[in-house]
Amino acid sequence: MKLSRRSFTAGLGAAGAASLLKPSMSLAARPDELNILCWEGYNTDDVLGPFRDLNPGATVRAESGTSDPDMINKLRAGEVNVWDLINLNQPWARGQLYPAGLIKPLDKERFMPFFEKMTPEYGNPPYPLAFAEDEELIGMPQRYGPFSFVVNTDKISREMAEDMGWKLFLEPDMADRFGILTYDNWNIMHMCLTADLNPFESLDEAGFTAFEDTAAKIFAGAKLMSDDLVAMNTALINGEIDAYFTGGTYTASPARLDGMTQIRGITPKSGPIDGKGGVVWAELTSLVNNPDPSPLAADFLEFVQKPEIAKAVGFAEGTYNPVAQMGDPDVFAMWDSDELDAIQWDSLEEESANSVEYDEVADYDKLMEIYTVLRRG
Amino acid sequence: MQRRERNLGLLYSAPLTIFLFLAFLAPICLVAAFSAMPEKVFSLTQMPDFSAYRTVLEQGYWKSVAWSLFMAFVATLILLVICWPLAFGMAKVFKRFTLVLTIGVVMTLFVSENIRLFGWVLTLMKGGLIEGYWRHWTGVGFDAPLYNGPIIVFGLVYVYLPFMLFPLAQGIAMVPDDARQSAYDLGATRWQILKEIDLPLAMPGIMVGSLLTFVLAAGAMAESKLLGGRAIITIADEVQTAFTYGQNWPLGSALAMVLIAIIGTVAIWAISKADLDKMMGRKA
Repeated sequence: MKLSRRSFTAGLGAAGAASLLKPSMSLAARPDELNILCWEGYNTDDVLGPFRDLNPGATVRAESGTSDPDMINKLRAGEVNVWDLINLNQPWARGQLYPAGLIKPLDKERFMPFFEKMTPEYGNPPYPLAFAEDEELIGMPQRYGPFSFVVNTDKISREMAEDMGWKLFLEPDMADRFGILTYDNWNIMHMCLTADLNPFESLDEAGFTAFEDTAAKIFAGAKLMSDDLVAMNTALINGEIDAYFTGGTYTASPARLDGMTQIRGITPKSGPIDGKGGVVWAELTSLVNNPDPSPLAADFLEFVQKPEIAKAVGFAEGTYNPVAQMGDPDVFAMWDSDELDAIQWDSLEEESANSVEYDEVADYDKLMEIYTVLRRG
Repeated sequence: MQRRERNLGLLYSAPLTIFLFLAFLAPICLVAAFSAMPEKVFSLTQMPDFSAYRTVLEQGYWKSVAWSLFMAFVATLILLVICWPLAFGMAKVFKRFTLVLTIGVVMTLFVSENIRLFGWVLTLMKGGLIEGYWRHWTGVGFDAPLYNGPIIVFGLVYVYLPFMLFPLAQGIAMVPDDARQSAYDLGATRWQILKEIDLPLAMPGIMVGSLLTFVLAAGAMAESKLLGGRAIITIADEVQTAFTYGQNWPLGSALAMVLIAIIGTVAIWAISKADLDKMMGRKA
């Protein structure tokens, strides 16, 4: 066939137009493809490399998100066709993704046995929040961590911070001495706790007023706000601030592994939810409800339960976190003493015991409105 | 014949027109459509009720809009004053050194904005490059000049400098030296030359530079987040919050539409005020 310039251009145009009309054509070879949308860690070579070696010929891609809602937006915007696995903090999976049909249940027979090797908080009984209200298993837990606030223990002692709890941030002499790590959904939860409210139950008018007063005080006292944990740790290390509102193992661990062990995540000893004032998060990795699913998705979920891979996920670059699989002695043996110190292993059990599970905030929309208005100043 | 030519023109421009529509107008139309939807929905199949716009009005979002526009305006003014002598030098004085300067300024654009701004944080923070050395040498420390409004404007000036500098230099290059020399010969003062010759003849460059910087600065948020410690919440930041943590796409879209409408009006007004063709001497 003789290819003239004109027919080539026409062909090119047609190919371009076809790609616009039928984007799913590019996804034809699904058995050889796996796309993972995750928090940092699952996308590193230490995790993906060995999986690629096990599945030569498969194209394995992982993209890291910057926040839970950002990743949910991708699925809502039609990318359920693209992704096979999503890794998110658990309330979003239960509260938003499963009810919206964006993720699907896991095979219980295949995955339930893994709970037996997990730490007691996650394995015995199997982590209740990994199950939807219809009792389907909707994701596997791995990384977790207490998440309340962080102090520089050279300036504020651990005991004092734990005893005072959230009220520390209302002290007049703390004004201009703390920052706010603006993970908005977490700030809202923590401001409720500071106001002695339970964020996971509906609030009455008095509750909203208390939230508003407390949030206003905290915003007024903050020296800086940032959604960047490195900026917050830097300010804490150089003495710009002595504490930051919203933070925990996840944010303090990078500084601690660098030897700055005075930076410490704090869990209040008491609080308004059955006497507890801390919050603990756990991630769930779930199967996306892809209309053209990849069989590699469930394989990968099983693969990350292996000791060396569980360690790689927990100790990815950026942040360091305990994993539920550390209940297995083989997994635990992978951590050295500095690494255990970075994730505050010494107080982890106690901190988890003083924390409640991160859950959906009951009046999130209304509180978010109050929060954004006050933050604007 | 003429009609056929006109049709051919339309045909030739069709691919580009379609491309521009798909790549540029379609996303804006989508945002506009979402902004009319009831709040907290994630599809366009609902009955439009424009409730997001009511929320924009009722919940004080105007403050963020006003702050963003004000800071963009101040940054543009400062840039105009700073860049004028530099651009004048590049266009008329520096000769070969202009190339060095151009490469120097363009090089900064190779590095991500966030990294450059974080570099400033490390320079200015307590114990950073400046305060750290100062305290080391003198024993006296001082508070970091971070986390306030003026430092955000500084960030805007720093980041958007190239967008003012190059159009301005281009504009000044268009001022004929003969005109300036004649004015000198006729006894004009330096001030008169600036006012009567340089500014009017370089106006296309001034307009383009000012519009570029103003539009970009009005939609900026990294400066406020990194340098400013969110002391002032910009409108772009509010849009991001609405789309992400708020999970309220219609509200985010409505906020974006408000910004697009304001910026669009300013841009169209400025362009219509200053007839570029006339200034460039193409029309009588």
